[in-house]
Amino acid sequence: MSYESPIRDQLVTGGKTYSDVTRDITRPLENSPSKGWWIGFSLSTVTLALWIGATTYTVLVGLGAWGLNKTVGWAFDITNFVFWVGIGHAGTLISAVLLLFRQKWRMSINRSAEAMTIFAVICAASFILSHMGRPWVAYWPIPLPNAFGTLWVNFNSPLVWDVFAISTYFSVSLVFWYVGLIPDIATVRDRATTKARKFWYGFFAMGWTGSTRTWHRYEVISLILAGISTPLVLSVHSIVSMDFATSLVPGWHTTIFPPYFVAGAIFSGFGMVLTLLVIAREVMNYKDYITEAHLDAMAKVVMVTGTMVGMAYITEFFVAAYSGVEYEQYAFLNRAFGPYWWAYWTMMSCNLIAPQVFWSSKARTNPTVLFIMSIIVNIGMWFERFVIIVTSLHRDFIPANWAMYTPTITEVTILIGSFGLFFFLFFLFIKFLPSINMAEVKSIIPTHAHEDEHQHHGHSHELATEKGVLHGN
Amino acid sequence: MATKETSKQLILGVYDNPDKVYSTTKKLIKGGYKIEDVYSPFAIHGLDRVMGIKRSRLSIAAFLFAMTGLSLAVTFQVYVSYIDWQMNIGGKPSLHIPTYIPITFELSILFTAFGMVTCFFIVNKLFWGKNADIMDPRVTDDLFIIAVDVKASKADMGALNQKLIDGGAIEVRERIKEL
Repeated sequence: MSYESPIRDQLVTGGKTYSDVTRDITRPLENSPSKGWWIGFSLSTVTLALWIGATTYTVLVGLGAWGLNKTVGWAFDITNFVFWVGIGHAGTLISAVLLLFRQKWRMSINRSAEAMTIFAVICAASFILSHMGRPWVAYWPIPLPNAFGTLWVNFNSPLVWDVFAISTYFSVSLVFWYVGLIPDIATVRDRATTKARKFWYGFFAMGWTGSTRTWHRYEVISLILAGISTPLVLSVHSIVSMDFATSLVPGWHTTIFPPYFVAGAIFSGFGMVLTLLVIAREVMNYKDYITEAHLDAMAKVVMVTGTMVGMAYITEFFVAAYSGVEYEQYAFLNRAFGPYWWAYWTMMSCNLIAPQVFWSSKARTNPTVLFIMSIIVNIGMWFERFVIIVTSLHRDFIPANWAMYTPTITEVTILIGSFGLFFFLFFLFIKFLPSINMAEVKSIIPTHAHEDEHQHHGHSHELATEKGVLHGN
Repeated sequence: MATKETSKQLILGVYDNPDKVYSTTKKLIKGGYKIEDVYSPFAIHGLDRVMGIKRSRLSIAAFLFAMTGLSLAVTFQVYVSYIDWQMNIGGKPSLHIPTYIPITFELSILFTAFGMVTCFFIVNKLFWGKNADIMDPRVTDDLFIIAVDVKASKADMGALNQKLIDGGAIEVRERIKEL
């Protein structure tokens, strides 16, 4: 219930009432899935099987299954890790940062974006595990008193910081997501017609009653969770960037890495949110909730962050030239004009040049253009990480060590398979959980949508106006 | 010592519009009625203030948890890398506060989030598998309910019905809430 400024467009269109919202959003949960869902789910299950197969093969055979060599010791695995972690940034950004800025358009997209965050971080973590070669000793970076003598982890190492950052990010995002889900799970519980639904949604709704006292505390903790998640998002990708930036490798050893990685993460995250939502609003018929205004706003974020990332690419070049360090200069020339020039220019055109189409408002609201652009952004951001990692490593200080890196089929299969893992989880999510935050969406529906139905209560519109003025926000 | 009450008699006013709930609640409280609670499908802004709900102390809890996380993280890192076993890696100092910042920060956030949300569950008595004592199944869908505590109200209960209906209630009913 909020005061609507007449200047702004409505965030939810179609004159929805509260019960319309409930019905529309619980529909996929309460009915057997559509054909589209089955096709998508089956495809992602098959792709997930590829991931399982290729990962199992890697674990059995060892890292020899990959195209790594003595010079390029990090390639596809870390590229994919940073790629997925980056995608995982839009969810919390949308829910937390936009909550702090009181951007109400976030309300129809935050739930699915947060789900996306969690699934993307799961994908990212899978690469951390598999790149170790021996995933059964994955607990070694955790500071445990151990059997190898009194040997602790090295807290000066950003790789250890990363362990803490990613696991904190994952668990806090999960908590944030779950807390946001509780009122909606209660809605599903109260509508449940089958025993199983009543039991499971009842179990996870934790006895939610919709009491104002609870809502009051709920709002307090939502605000604090948003407040702590905002620096958390920024810190996680900053720490990921320090995995590179604190090393002495030319091309990695750059002070602009943290902000540049954060901008890139937001950019790629919004790219993936667009990919998912452009499809979801068509398939699930959520066009009244995810309106053109939402697409427009997301496209603007993509354009701004894409340009920031592009600016960082150019800044890096300038700094390398200006620093006078010949290794640094060579690393960047090699990136742009060396054997991996195609990767560099794919990155440049996808991330800096392509998003400039969003200066046109027609492009920002055209779902086809947005979908194609979102795929371009995803490709561009994957190549950004590939360029940073592989081109900086493959020609190191001694020319005798110079080598080229080519991924093996196993590596490519793991990458493709990780999309299977991601979409498998995402399809389960849209089937079993409300993919739009019903409680929040109801709170931004104008109350006069209900007045039309109940014309006989003539005086309440006046009250609404009074309340709007007094408590409007 | 008075015997503890086992149930509460409530009069429920059922509404379909949050604005009406807001104004009716305000009027009832002014009139001396004791509002047990207002149930709604989403948070009605400002209603908590009207009902005189004090600002939750969960933010203080959050701060305390943050400080707990912070001090544990600092203590642990100093203990591990300086007191228990120093390692010489590239000649870098063992006690080097700036490199402790990222982990300290992450752990403060982790403690805040988990501690605060756990407290939130405890003060609201929310737990997995709890049987919800809901006033109406549609209260999580599209209805709003004002629950007036009959015994604690210091006003004319005979007029309450009319007041709820005048405020726009689509239904008024009685309910016994087990405590």
